[in-house]
Amino acid sequence: MWQFILKRFLLMIPTLLGVAAIIFLLLRVIPGDVVEAKYMSGEGQGMSNQVMAEERAKLGLDKPVWQQFGLWVWRLLHLDLGVSMWTGSPITEEIKLRFALSLQVALMATVIATVLAIPLGIIAALKQDTWVDYAVRIFSIAGLAMPSFWLGILMILSFLIIFKWVPPMVYTPFWVDPWQNMVQLIWPALAVGYRYSAVATRMTRSSMLEVLREDYIRTARAKGLWLKLILVRHALKNAMLPVVTVIGLEFAFLLGGLVVTEQVFNLNGLGLLFVQAIARRDYTLTQALVLLVASVFIFVNFVMDIMYAWLDPRIRHG
Amino acid sequence: MSISAPFDAIEVLDAAPRARWLAVIVDFSRRRPLGAIGAVVVVLMLLVAVSATVISPYDPLTVDFAAMLAPPNAAHWLGTDAYGRDVLSRIIYGSRTALIVGFGAALFGASAGAVLGVGSAYFGGRIDLVLQRFMDIFISFPLIILALAMVAILGNTLPNLITAITIPMIPRCALVIRSSALSVREMPYVDAARAAGFSHARIILRHMLPNVMAPYLIMLTAFLGQAILLEASLSFLGLGVQEPTAAWGLMLSGAAVEFAETAPWMGLFPGLAISLAVFAFNLFGDSLRDALDPKLRTL
Repeated sequence: MWQFILKRFLLMIPTLLGVAAIIFLLLRVIPGDVVEAKYMSGEGQGMSNQVMAEERAKLGLDKPVWQQFGLWVWRLLHLDLGVSMWTGSPITEEIKLRFALSLQVALMATVIATVLAIPLGIIAALKQDTWVDYAVRIFSIAGLAMPSFWLGILMILSFLIIFKWVPPMVYTPFWVDPWQNMVQLIWPALAVGYRYSAVATRMTRSSMLEVLREDYIRTARAKGLWLKLILVRHALKNAMLPVVTVIGLEFAFLLGGLVVTEQVFNLNGLGLLFVQAIARRDYTLTQALVLLVASVFIFVNFVMDIMYAWLDPRIRHG
Repeated sequence: MSISAPFDAIEVLDAAPRARWLAVIVDFSRRRPLGAIGAVVVVLMLLVAVSATVISPYDPLTVDFAAMLAPPNAAHWLGTDAYGRDVLSRIIYGSRTALIVGFGAALFGASAGAVLGVGSAYFGGRIDLVLQRFMDIFISFPLIILALAMVAILGNTLPNLITAITIPMIPRCALVIRSSALSVREMPYVDAARAAGFSHARIILRHMLPNVMAPYLIMLTAFLGQAILLEASLSFLGLGVQEPTAAWGLMLSGAAVEFAETAPWMGLFPGLAISLAVFAFNLFGDSLRDALDPKLRTL
């Protein structure tokens, strides 16, 4: 088992390195750079080429690409994300507040999704092909079909028309005023939580259906075991693993993938930061953000693989 | 799993070719009513997109300041936007954008993924290992972030938009198809083809690809809805289709939120169109998956 964990852990390194290399290259393929973006946006148009070259040299953009990459990775190994090319302040500072916000929304959405999805998925599986199943499936397919940002627009629209009220648009940290904070963030969390719950409901349903057809469930029923006990002890336990996986992976994506919903609710989270960073060609910041989201994703995957291997010895010896 | 398959090929093989197709369709809709509803909506949408010039009441680009922000009425069924353009006509024309991007991205993405997946399974060994690592890397990027980066690189014309949406889909499809192809590779007919001295390309394209058709179709339909959603998101952010082209996501961006109070129809109907389209594709795709390969999990 330890050998498996070590092997799986070491496999994360080339993947992370690959992500780093690809985002690094992608950014440099995008036309324009941060110096151009800065001086095109009004701040002293018609800068002389010499000044622009000096600016580039300051940021280290005049060095060959492989040298820039090497330097970046070298700093990363020392846990140094560097400074933002646009603002000049340390990236950890730039990310800190926004990370708290995105993390909170992601966590709230996860709670909403889990609370909705697991009971719904189980009921749908137990009552397969009845109207209950159909209703749950329609509810969850609708959740996948409705763009979260549109759901957000609908929420704001209906509050406005019915209650003449708009959720607060200025972020209040939880520790400053928990109530104000919740009133603002519960809506985006609900908007993305619905889609998220749809994904999890479908996984719960299909995974339950598969487990319910297993021999050991039939055996349990044949020996006259109480149905509830079979469900909780035997079926649920085995069916939950893929569900936990999908919840974990969605969570990782929510952290950085809320780009559009954040726009609707005027949230200054990681998604918005990412769009800004790309538009400004802020290489260092974009790289850090992508690496952050990808590491969470890769780490969740790693933990899941270990859990699978722990539960199913066939995997670790395979 | 084929026991519960909705249309058993053997059952209908004897019938004449035309009757066979009909029987398959009838059987599918009888056993999967939800899927049939989805398919009907998809077909309707295709018809609307094709006949947009005939059925839309107005030109989607004509600006009419006299009718600016008109609520839904007899002349403009779904109202008008801030430029007095007819919302219904723009939704009808927007279906073209959505379907072109949806079908384009899903077809390219699933096909490229299928070729990569089958190739990876067929060659195995080092090639498989390297390809797998690449897929892992690309999957670690959130879909929308990769698409955003691609749009920034390529610029946002329609073909580039399709490419940008296709690229993040390829590895996801390749992974699924590879696992199916691994079992196909062990089939005697692949050995036979190899013994007959056929080229790798011929074995992959003629013998293996047709046998991973089921997961291919499933991934294709699953991606259709996702591609439409992704296009809407990108257009909403202003990084997709550009004004004045009619596109659903674009109709929701900017003005729709700005005029939320005075003209709620602008925010309502385009979103409904997106949801209905993706809903129909997912409904159909789900039933298709249940029919072809219930063990395969898409989204």
